[in-house]
Amino acid sequence: MLGANIRRGAPAGPRPDIPELGRYRLRRTEDEVTSYIGMVIFLGSWAMMFAALFFAYAVVRVRAPMWPPPDQPALPFLVPGLNTVVIAASSGAVLLGVRAHARGRYRRASLLLGVGAGLGAVFLGLQVLVWLGLWRAGLVPSGGPYASVFYALTSFHALHVLVGLAALTVLALRSRARSATRSAVRLWGMFWHFVGVVWGALYVAVYLA
Amino acid sequence: MSTAQALAEAAQPIHPPPTSFWRQYVFSIDHKVIGKQFLWAGLLFLLVGGTLAMLIRWQWAFPYRPVPVLGQVFLGKSGGVIGPATYQQIFTTHGLVMIFFAVTPVLIGCFGNFLIPLMIGARDMAFPKLNMYSFWTFLLSQLLVLASFLTDLGSAGAGWTTSPPLSTNVGTPGLGQTLVVAAIFVTGVSSTMGAINYVTTVIRLRAPGMGYMRLPLTIWGIWLTAILNALFVPVLGSAALLLLLDRNFGTQFFVAGASAVRGGGDPILFQHLFWIFGHPEVYILILPAWGILGDVLPFFARKPHHWYKGTVLAMVIVTVLSAMVYGHHMFMTGMSPLLGEGFMLFTLLISAPSMVVVLNWVLTLWRGSLRFDTPMLFALATMFVFGVGGLTGLFLADISMDLYLHDTMFVVGHFHFTMAAASFLAAMTGIYFWFPKIFGRKLDERLGKAHFWFTFVGITLVFGGQLLAGYAGQQRRLFDPFQYTFIQQLRGLNRWTSFFAFALFAGQFIFVWNFFKTLFGKVASAGANPWEVTTLEWTATGTPPPFHNFDRIPEVVRGPHEFSNPEVRRLTGRDFAGQAEVLPGGGERGLAAAKG
Repeated sequence: MLGANIRRGAPAGPRPDIPELGRYRLRRTEDEVTSYIGMVIFLGSWAMMFAALFFAYAVVRVRAPMWPPPDQPALPFLVPGLNTVVIAASSGAVLLGVRAHARGRYRRASLLLGVGAGLGAVFLGLQVLVWLGLWRAGLVPSGGPYASVFYALTSFHALHVLVGLAALTVLALRSRARSATRSAVRLWGMFWHFVGVVWGALYVAVYLA
Repeated sequence: MSTAQALAEAAQPIHPPPTSFWRQYVFSIDHKVIGKQFLWAGLLFLLVGGTLAMLIRWQWAFPYRPVPVLGQVFLGKSGGVIGPATYQQIFTTHGLVMIFFAVTPVLIGCFGNFLIPLMIGARDMAFPKLNMYSFWTFLLSQLLVLASFLTDLGSAGAGWTTSPPLSTNVGTPGLGQTLVVAAIFVTGVSSTMGAINYVTTVIRLRAPGMGYMRLPLTIWGIWLTAILNALFVPVLGSAALLLLLDRNFGTQFFVAGASAVRGGGDPILFQHLFWIFGHPEVYILILPAWGILGDVLPFFARKPHHWYKGTVLAMVIVTVLSAMVYGHHMFMTGMSPLLGEGFMLFTLLISAPSMVVVLNWVLTLWRGSLRFDTPMLFALATMFVFGVGGLTGLFLADISMDLYLHDTMFVVGHFHFTMAAASFLAAMTGIYFWFPKIFGRKLDERLGKAHFWFTFVGITLVFGGQLLAGYAGQQRRLFDPFQYTFIQQLRGLNRWTSFFAFALFAGQFIFVWNFFKTLFGKVASAGANPWEVTTLEWTATGTPPPFHNFDRIPEVVRGPHEFSNPEVRRLTGRDFAGQAEVLPGGGERGLAAAKG
């Protein structure tokens, strides 16, 4: 009974008990802890991959006589900066969505995950605009290490955004149908935050520095 | 059933085994079937890699002469003669196939999958489906390698390290190299998936009572390997990725000196990325071998492992240090001498914990009652060849010595002793030892011993010959070493080394015969515990284990090497006690004592 009330968000029962019960219900099961640990190891592993890419960037940049080269366009920082805000907002929406889902508010969760996915799509759209603008300005992947670094890092990151976007869309639909597991929503949420954090590092290192 | 057991049972309920053929044998999520799949895939590519090695040896014994049998089949266009470009592809793919597609699947794919759940007392891996994906991704990478042989310009030819600029379009155009680099990336994805699974499984699914200090050393070795895999294979992945971008999209990460204002890429960058992965890879291949030895030696010496905790600690230290020494592969790249000395120091330091491991093996054997079954013979041989490999490593770690020996056959001999001989012999130790558990039958002892002597003597002579040739100044990778007058003296040595290599290769067919004879011939079942040992896979379940591994998840009460304990002998009449075995009569007290 209590559980049903909490799920609907209706006021119920003696107040002090409900938070306790709520906390109890939010606790991870054994299986969920196992998948959580697996996800942490996966993200650690993938962080090493991005770290290696940043290392490659650092080496190439230290070796370059000038950065950016005088005959190539400088990278914009406003649109990517806006993108940083977009992906942060998306992460925030997903964070709230994951919480709502864990508390059994599936419609709200679906909505928030959908918003997260939508913002992710906006991010990709803006990224495509940045690519197009630079391509027109004459920056192509074969234009030396400066262009190589820019296209390799941003496109590899965008690929991860695309994967996360697909997952969030599926989860938004599924949590509306109440068929998404709590663990799946949580773990894809972690992946999404990871992609956001990598973007933050990428923005600072590639666009600003 | 204790509370802890009941909780473990509740967390890992028994599922009914699959009934359809596809789910049972092909797209299986059973870790035992996946282990076998890795074993088959690995052994098949071991044959491929071995055949390629024979071609290399033929070239060094009889350059420009047509290769008998194999030449007719594979090199028909050139009349069976190995040309320079073909030779490059042969030594490149020999290295890649052996390391990524033969030894890795057997040592890590097969033993890791098959043994982890059985040895820690779990019903399956933490993520059975991920496990299945890991195998099929691996198979895809093997197919990419095979496909590369069919392309116009042939397979990869830039050496197993795939170093640019040779590996870029400038040095090696053609789809073959691209396919092999893609294969490296894909096999990296497979390894990472496996690693995540192994690490999580050992953390989460150990049976009640199976503390970290009660894990069999095999599991310690595979677990530390999995950690290294999870951390450093992605670095190789990013190197392969950037190389693929350079080859296919015209980026310039590794192509040097493009223009004055834009600068250029840096070929040395690839070497950094490669060896940041590449040195841990050496330990990825040797730690499981150490682990297997750490169990097999006490099993057949009928003694507890000497200073178990010391060995565990040493293996952990080696794992940490292995990430800090990669620069010793790059002493000749114009690295700052100060940096070089740092790498030299750490490299030499690794020999200290390694020596702890080896001395513990020796002290385990000391005054044991040794049983010289085939697995034990292979384990002893592994100790020897690893010793030779380790000691020659000291020469190469030392910068002043390395300046002379770098890129000679001495390096080839050194890493063949450690990575090829030690890993291969340890893999054979494991195959002979766990064969009864994997397939339910024991391999023939007489054939096994014949195989052992061929292999051990062969391996020592072949790689010893390489060490000698290198010390005399023969460079590695030469198409025809005897173009150089100073190497012409070594023609006899090279030829004899090749003869030993042919014998070594021929000896492996004893194993193939033994393998199939035991598998398909009329051989009696080996029984649950043919070696009379202690770990869970032998003592807490049947042979071969059921789909769910354990009818009841065991509660572990003692460490992995309980041998020759007089109290156990008094109570059971045996000289060993299983890890989860409750001793009869007075067992309660003994149990309490074992639990501490």
